[in-house]
Amino acid sequence: MTSVHCAAAAALLIALTACGPAPIDPRRQVGPNPYLPPIHQYLVTPFHLAKIVGWNGATPAVAPGLKVQAFATGLANPRSLYVLPNRDVLVVETGGPPATISRPKDIVMNWMEAKTHSSTKPGQRILLFRVTRADGLPNEKTVFLDHLNSPFGVVLVGNDLFVANTDAVVRYPYTPGETRITAAGVKLCDLPGGPIDHHWTKSLTASPDGSKLYAGVGSNSNITENGIQAEVGRAAIWEIDRDTGAHREYAAGLRNPNGLQFEPQTHVLWAVVNERDELGPDMVPDYLTSIREGAFYGWPYSFYGQHLDPRVQPQRPDLVARAIAPDYALSSHVAPLGLVFYTGANLPAHYRGGAFVGEHGSWNRSVLNGYKVVYVPFENGRPSGPAEDVVTGFLIDGDKARGRPVGLAIDSAGGLLIADDTGNSVWRVSAASP
Amino acid sequence: MQNDNPRSTATLGGRPIHAMLVPVPITCFVGTLITDIVYWRTAMMLWADMSAWLLAVGLIVSLFAASAGLIDFFGDHRIRELRSAWIHGLGNVTVVILSIFNACIHTRDAYTSVVPTGLILSALVVAILLVTAWNGWTMVYRHGVGVREGNRP
Repeated sequence: MTSVHCAAAAALLIALTACGPAPIDPRRQVGPNPYLPPIHQYLVTPFHLAKIVGWNGATPAVAPGLKVQAFATGLANPRSLYVLPNRDVLVVETGGPPATISRPKDIVMNWMEAKTHSSTKPGQRILLFRVTRADGLPNEKTVFLDHLNSPFGVVLVGNDLFVANTDAVVRYPYTPGETRITAAGVKLCDLPGGPIDHHWTKSLTASPDGSKLYAGVGSNSNITENGIQAEVGRAAIWEIDRDTGAHREYAAGLRNPNGLQFEPQTHVLWAVVNERDELGPDMVPDYLTSIREGAFYGWPYSFYGQHLDPRVQPQRPDLVARAIAPDYALSSHVAPLGLVFYTGANLPAHYRGGAFVGEHGSWNRSVLNGYKVVYVPFENGRPSGPAEDVVTGFLIDGDKARGRPVGLAIDSAGGLLIADDTGNSVWRVSAASP
Repeated sequence: MQNDNPRSTATLGGRPIHAMLVPVPITCFVGTLITDIVYWRTAMMLWADMSAWLLAVGLIVSLFAASAGLIDFFGDHRIRELRSAWIHGLGNVTVVILSIFNACIHTRDAYTSVVPTGLILSALVVAILLVTAWNGWTMVYRHGVGVREGNRP
């Protein structure tokens, strides 16, 4: 009877898990006014994991007029990219700090998380690829900076190279042309790190005049389940003075902001943001947005303006009242982690001026979403049309992942570089015929 | 002296295993109600986390306790003839099923992992436990289930 009882309980659980709403067409949630279905709180939230199969010599698929080449393979969790003025490409090999366990669910979540990422131990370092070939592929590779603490963002201002580790922004002296930095870094300012460090990737960029740095600091939970006291300084974009390290919250209520970039025409800061999970397959859409100084974007109390999240207690009506909606939804659970405005001249004219977004891909949706690089056209510094798939093929047969795109960059020849952490590769997309 | 009490079948060193294990889930499930109430009043996540741990431990041990109890139930027809045994058994199976649901609700994030559904389930479980415990005591202290009488070695 025990086994009958267990089987009955299991059957019941499966039935109730399956009871969530059916996913909608994600295209209904791409653009400035996404359809927002009613929220659904699960009995057991869906874990739909892509099985990692690797590339095995295959390459991603690209839109017509483009070609793709492997820029680098056999890496150890490459997640972000930065192109130096002399064409050298920095590849950040990184992984998060050990996950903490607050309750039994975390044991399951951590195991699932590990399964959806490459089993390669992250490098925790920055590699330099020297590119002198005409085809834009590298001919030399060195370890540029080693023994970092979950690094992610990199930006060069003058001869100062800033690296955003998960717990601090560190400055290194950089001499043009060098292939390895041996000097010890100097800490510019602390960032919220451990002991709990849930969203650990600290994206980094500099203002066009180079006087300020901007760091994305993700939340320390999905929706405050680690306590509101763990969220101090988080879910925000920090503005950091480049010289003094003095900092303030430039914008807040951004659950996990990444891909910080200044739009080249208007010089406005933009970011891609990962919204909250476990409210249904189509809630809440992730987004691309300009970042307004002093603005509050809702997290954790509300989303897309004043839509309240019932999981947050106590609520803050004063903050919700001034919460603003983001500019452009990318659809739900796509996990955008990379953003780059196309400023090059290599790709077809169609891709000039808009933004590429790297979508790492979903786990909390019965039909997988994301796992691709999309292009959002811009006009006058604002998105001007639906997002288009540009690089796909990361997912095969609906639920097997060859790789997962993360950070993006434009190289000196105008090629689009894509860090693929699960495929342990960097891809280069360029015009099919020069 | 003849021992004619209903006998426990699942025993360890002559002592009923069910009686050894059953205090653990009872304590855990009562504790869950207490920590749920404190979370409801304070919104401090630590208490909700404690509820989740208590539920997990309670459920794991309850599966062993229930197994031992079922072996006893089917091991001696005199137990099955007791009305209190049926109430005790069916009530506790209900407790386990409700607690599985409750553990699922407690995997939600933040406030709605407890309020209101988790809290209601935790209270319901404790209410049923009062009835099943009462009937368990009836089985042991009125009918001597699992109790050995006679010459002590």
